[in-house]
Amino acid sequence: MRRNQGCSPVEHVLARRQFLAGSASAAVGACLSKPVQAHPLMQADSLKRSGKRILQIFLQGGVSQLESWDPKPGTKFGGPFRAIPTSVPGMHISELLPHTASRMHHLSIVRSINSKINDHRKGMLYMEKGRPTGDFPYLGSVASKYLAGPDAALPGYIHITTRGINDSTAAFLGAQHAQLKLEGVQPPSNLDLPQDLDEELDAQRESLRRQFDEPFAQHRSNAELDTYDAAFQQAALLMARKKIFEGSASEKDLSRYGTHDFARYCLLARTLLENGATCVKVTHHGYDSHAENFNFHLEQLGEFDKPFAMLMDDLSDRGMLENTLVLVCSEFGRTPKINTKYGRDHWGTAWSTVLGGCGVQSGAIIGSTNNEGTEVADREVDSGHLFHTYLRAVGLDSYAEHDLPGRSIPIGDPAAEEIGELLS
Amino acid sequence: MFRDHTFWMLIAVSFSPALSAPLPAAAPLHQQIDALIEAHPSFDASAADAADDATFLRRVYLDLAGCIPTAQQVREFLKDPSPDKRTHTIDALLASPQHATRMQYVLDELLMERRSGKHVAADQWRTFLRQSVLDNKPWDVLVREILSADGSQPETRPAAKFLLARELHRDEVTRDLGRIFLGRDLQCAQCHDHPTVDDYLQRHYFGLTAFITRSYLFKDPKTGITSIGEKAEGDVEFTSVFTSETAGTAPRMLDLPPLADPPAEKELYKVKRAKNVRGVPIYSRRLQLAEAMTDDANRAFRLNIANRMWAVMMGQGLVEPLDMMHEQNPPTHPQVLDLLAASLLEHGYDLRYLLRELALTQTYQRSSQARNAADHDDHPYSVARLKPLSPEQLAWSMMRATGIIDDEPVEDSSAAGPADAAIQKHVETFAKMFSTGGQSTRFDAAAEQALFLRNGNLIHSWLTAKDGLVTSLQPLDDAQLAEELYLQVFSRMPTEQETRRVADFLQSTSDRPLAIQQLTWAALVSTEFRFNH
Repeated sequence: MRRNQGCSPVEHVLARRQFLAGSASAAVGACLSKPVQAHPLMQADSLKRSGKRILQIFLQGGVSQLESWDPKPGTKFGGPFRAIPTSVPGMHISELLPHTASRMHHLSIVRSINSKINDHRKGMLYMEKGRPTGDFPYLGSVASKYLAGPDAALPGYIHITTRGINDSTAAFLGAQHAQLKLEGVQPPSNLDLPQDLDEELDAQRESLRRQFDEPFAQHRSNAELDTYDAAFQQAALLMARKKIFEGSASEKDLSRYGTHDFARYCLLARTLLENGATCVKVTHHGYDSHAENFNFHLEQLGEFDKPFAMLMDDLSDRGMLENTLVLVCSEFGRTPKINTKYGRDHWGTAWSTVLGGCGVQSGAIIGSTNNEGTEVADREVDSGHLFHTYLRAVGLDSYAEHDLPGRSIPIGDPAAEEIGELLS
Repeated sequence: MFRDHTFWMLIAVSFSPALSAPLPAAAPLHQQIDALIEAHPSFDASAADAADDATFLRRVYLDLAGCIPTAQQVREFLKDPSPDKRTHTIDALLASPQHATRMQYVLDELLMERRSGKHVAADQWRTFLRQSVLDNKPWDVLVREILSADGSQPETRPAAKFLLARELHRDEVTRDLGRIFLGRDLQCAQCHDHPTVDDYLQRHYFGLTAFITRSYLFKDPKTGITSIGEKAEGDVEFTSVFTSETAGTAPRMLDLPPLADPPAEKELYKVKRAKNVRGVPIYSRRLQLAEAMTDDANRAFRLNIANRMWAVMMGQGLVEPLDMMHEQNPPTHPQVLDLLAASLLEHGYDLRYLLRELALTQTYQRSSQARNAADHDDHPYSVARLKPLSPEQLAWSMMRATGIIDDEPVEDSSAAGPADAAIQKHVETFAKMFSTGGQSTRFDAAAEQALFLRNGNLIHSWLTAKDGLVTSLQPLDDAQLAEELYLQVFSRMPTEQETRRVADFLQSTSDRPLAIQQLTWAALVSTEFRFNH
């Protein structure tokens, strides 16, 4: 039975102590002991001024680790593609990612994820929440809450996608930290004033609104009233920055990134990050290759590779990589075994992810799988470890708790910890 | 048999309060509540006054009927000299069909937490809830129906939505049984006894699981309809991740005695489970769940609903969060919660009775405005709390304020015409935009919501509707206009200063119709409107 995730770390520390007291196993003890802190973690205020950001690229459907970050050419399940050298000596990735290969010196690979989940939604939620079950905020909502300053110029968590249901991403953190979902490069809904109003009239009615609110606030508790007003101010910011959403990409950029949708989403992500968004998530759909896995990955990764590489260049050239954590993730990997339709199926047992920027050690390979890729051979981690790693990379103490009225909830899964090697 | 019966009768009689002490006739529940609240050490002697008539009327309309009153209703109430007009209004609202609609929303949010449900259509479920409120079905009866329906019979199928929409997922159902019916989120006790909450034990979690572990979803191959089947065997075992101890449990309701299965008979099934045949055991643990949950011995069941109804009316639970009842998180006012739970038992889980008594309290009827700017969070119930309007309250109230609906909101699908369907759609738009999941006393606001209010077509169409409020304000002079605007939108008379401000604004602009539209918009999206105060 999987350990449940709703409990606070104090409880678990207590329980661990009790447990360890009665346990003779030094190995278990070592794995439960808290790792040495790699970074000095910042206090809330300085964290919000630190300008740390997250760019999260989600390859929806489950990218095949064998056709991307952990190729096994010439082995039983290796498939037809070769491995190519990268800008990091000794590091090889699939030949489907030639542009990315020459930017791997910015990035590190984790090749030893065993999340034990083969369900799309549950796998995605585990990746996003750092917990296998339960009602917890997504990574982007956590980033919005703790990294976005009160005067942030854009909502803290923006998700560019063309599909997907409306998730409750913020859980108990509140709607202002929920994802603002953009339908591709479409601006958010309701950004335009009603036709019979202009900016002057809009300012006038805003001032009327505040006039109504002022007497009502007298002798009343203000926290909720402020929350309501803050949403109007956020809306005003979005309206004022409408051009960001409408600005079509330049010819020059399009020629570098490409003209397809994902290329345009990457360009929008760049613009949003440059304009004060705290976490931008871009979802690239279409990796669920139960049939024709190899053709699918040729096509999908062909679309992903170049714009992603260009985005890495731009973040690096503009000096943003120091403060931007870049993640390329999926809900799980794909089975080594190739099925009868030349497909690969869902696989949470041994798969890979990539991260870099924001002080994360670059050019590293964490963990490994066995020769045929059927199991993790070394340094097994799960999505909970990744979640801790992401948060600590941006300076957040993932062992701290969300401080809520009536209960406190640990930010990261108390059963997991960060991958310290990446943060040193 | 006869002797046993007599014996129990005697026990019952000897415990009845009438014989134990000659108490004076008990005061009505609402007076007892007020006495306990005001005697509590946290109660501030300089508590707020009673809310004025207009504020009271708006508050009670929203809480009991789900929508602000019409301007006409406000006028009549303000004019009414009778001393018991508040009580009359409460009774009239509780007897109205709008109350059933309001409670349908409340119960839906409480039970389904805004899931987009499978298997049972939303309108069937709504009709079931609404009819239950119209019949004033007691809470225990409603919950028994919900937990015992297997979805195989058309007449009881809507009630099965609670289990069907959760796909009978063992952990999800267990957790929600604990949270929604017992006020206890036992999630932490799934894998070990809760380390710091002494009374959340792993056997509590699995005791609930054991009731449902034999039940499963059955899809009829002919009709394609999914219902609930049950096996006659199967037990739960659990292992603590801390101690590695493994234990089993029979079904049990928290610390009440476990319910052992009856001795195995030769024949276990009414209908034997087979491929394409829905199993129906002779002894159903799921039916035991419906009984054990609602049994008088299960005190947690009534403490939970008492706390949740209190939260609906007062804006916060006596225990917060609503699903974290345990020893170390005691109620702010334990005696009040005990009293409410005991009254519910005495009155056969009559929620309408409970809501009436709560509405009659001075605690409920207090102003939300403190006498001075002091910090009133430390003095609960000395000042009334602001309650954010639910998405449905907000939708109905905005439509009423803008004159889109002028009569009572009625949601009766049988009588629904095309206009009603449009209104229903508007309500759903709001539910999608403003919902926060399950019953909660937290207030949330997001930029998307503000954009919807600022620039959305829907609100704009209400402001510019031909026969709406804005049009009807056009012919009025400034003072009349201010009065009508405040009555329609804020359900109260404007102060002199407010009237003057409206007049000043109108005089300052050249486009009067547009100015009226601006004013109405600003009033509609103001905090005064957004909250039940």
